[in-house]
Amino acid sequence: MPRAKIWGIIAVLVSAFLFALSIFSFFILPEGNFGFFSDVNLMNLHPLTYYSAAVPLGLISLWVLATGFWIGWVILSIKVVPPMPEIVEKKDNSKIKAFFLCLITAGLAVLLVYGIYLRNFWALAIPALVISAVILGAVFWVGMAIITTRATLPVNKN
Amino acid sequence: MRVLISGYRGNPYCGGQGIYIYNLSRELAKLGVEVDVMVGPPYPDPLEEWATVYKIENLNIWSIKTKDIPYEKLVRIFSPWNFADYILTRLHMFPEMETYSFRAFFALKKILKEKRYDIIHDIQSLGWATVPMKGYGIPIVTTVHHPLTKDREADLMGNFGLWDKTTTILFYPLVMQSFVIKRLDRVITSFREGITELNKAFGVKPEKVSVVYNGMDVDLFQNTGEPREENALLFVGNTEDSKKGLIYLFEAMTMLPEDVTLTIVDDGPPKKMTAADMIKKFNLSHRVKFTGKLSYEALVSLYSRKTILVMSSLFEGFGLPAVEAMACKTPVVVTTAGSLKEVVTEDCGILVPPKDPIALKDAILKLLSDSELRKKMGENGRRRAVENFSWPVAAKNTLKVYEDVIREFRRKR
Repeated sequence: MPRAKIWGIIAVLVSAFLFALSIFSFFILPEGNFGFFSDVNLMNLHPLTYYSAAVPLGLISLWVLATGFWIGWVILSIKVVPPMPEIVEKKDNSKIKAFFLCLITAGLAVLLVYGIYLRNFWALAIPALVISAVILGAVFWVGMAIITTRATLPVNKN
Repeated sequence: MRVLISGYRGNPYCGGQGIYIYNLSRELAKLGVEVDVMVGPPYPDPLEEWATVYKIENLNIWSIKTKDIPYEKLVRIFSPWNFADYILTRLHMFPEMETYSFRAFFALKKILKEKRYDIIHDIQSLGWATVPMKGYGIPIVTTVHHPLTKDREADLMGNFGLWDKTTTILFYPLVMQSFVIKRLDRVITSFREGITELNKAFGVKPEKVSVVYNGMDVDLFQNTGEPREENALLFVGNTEDSKKGLIYLFEAMTMLPEDVTLTIVDDGPPKKMTAADMIKKFNLSHRVKFTGKLSYEALVSLYSRKTILVMSSLFEGFGLPAVEAMACKTPVVVTTAGSLKEVVTEDCGILVPPKDPIALKDAILKLLSDSELRKKMGENGRRRAVENFSWPVAAKNTLKVYEDVIREFRRKR
């Protein structure tokens, strides 16, 4: 088996295992120890310890939310003058959707900052889970593609 | 003088940057400049005769589904920059410029252990890592033919629905370009109005912008002497680009006599459907034909045979087809959009306002009915192209900008 295929299998297995582990750790392991709105003894952490994890995670999450808000804002504020004929004929409700996109992302950003301020566990857990899901999902998907794609390179017998 | 030219794409047959790098490096070398080229894939034709080439890796996987990525590229995704590229492309971003700039930053660190440069010339990548590159103590200039805001505006005009618009907004790295461009030592643009455009789009101060007209191969683009066809219009350009204003040309066509035909140098259906759909709508199928992509020889032959070149653009950063046609002694009808009013003068073509199909029709009719005027304009066009838009002229003017930037940089230090 080519070495790349072996790496592909490893990528699929490791990413699936790590994602399952994070789901297990976040949702199953605590087993009712804390509810969605309760803090999980994060108050006991030294502020420096807490914020060294919370600030980078919070910044990444805010950056993603800000991008969403910015997209909505651009769509809301862009002037399509004169409209292209093919656009005039159709009803485009993207401005309404963009308004809601701005509203939702702004709301989530406020919630995130407030959650971090309150030291709510989920304010850190949800962004961490989403970031892990994106990265592990990418690793998994590339691994699957490597396994299922036929190699066009000559197999290195060494 | 030692110059490093840096561009994220280098193939001279797949985009303006490649043509620019190839010809500019060659002509600068002829002027006695020591040129090195750092470039991403598709890599340029061999430049080794006059430049040292440093190849920078990039998988070019934007718009390719994971399942369709060739195996040779798939197995290379798990390196840090390739993986960053992969994730960002899946989020509908176009990260080639960003990751190229980081790769180039680290590659340059190695190169500078053995070499020194007087200036770095970035070819419209404007990636984040171009800013820390200034820490190497070398002035950096960049060429930006036109701000990407123009492309985004045109795309958004044609987009329908939230998803289409979102992917368009994510595609263009305008925040990055706006941040980086203001921090470079000089911006070279290819038309005077570009100074205002760059100021409006990115807040670049006018005194930081120099205008150098683009070059073209005036030896290659020459009239072949083939007999001219009558009532035959020519359009050269990307039909999917709404900045080209093709809809106004088709509208003008409906008002022109039935024997006036239009040849479009680009792919038609099934590869590209936008223009084909419009042609169907205007009932012009019997008068418009597509040639697909052409070799330079075939393109020169078309320029030499067709009666007029028409550009109905809503914006142009240079307008290469107009100059190529002029070099082949073909009169042009162009709009006054962007650079076209600087490139085409009234003695080599007719200028009309953009988005005005009636003016376009009148100008075409005027030229079609006056062969003497066409001949005169053709001769004037050739002269203008040779005097202003040849690569030796572009290289000489670029060199002047380099000298000015280096002088200013050393004075500040």
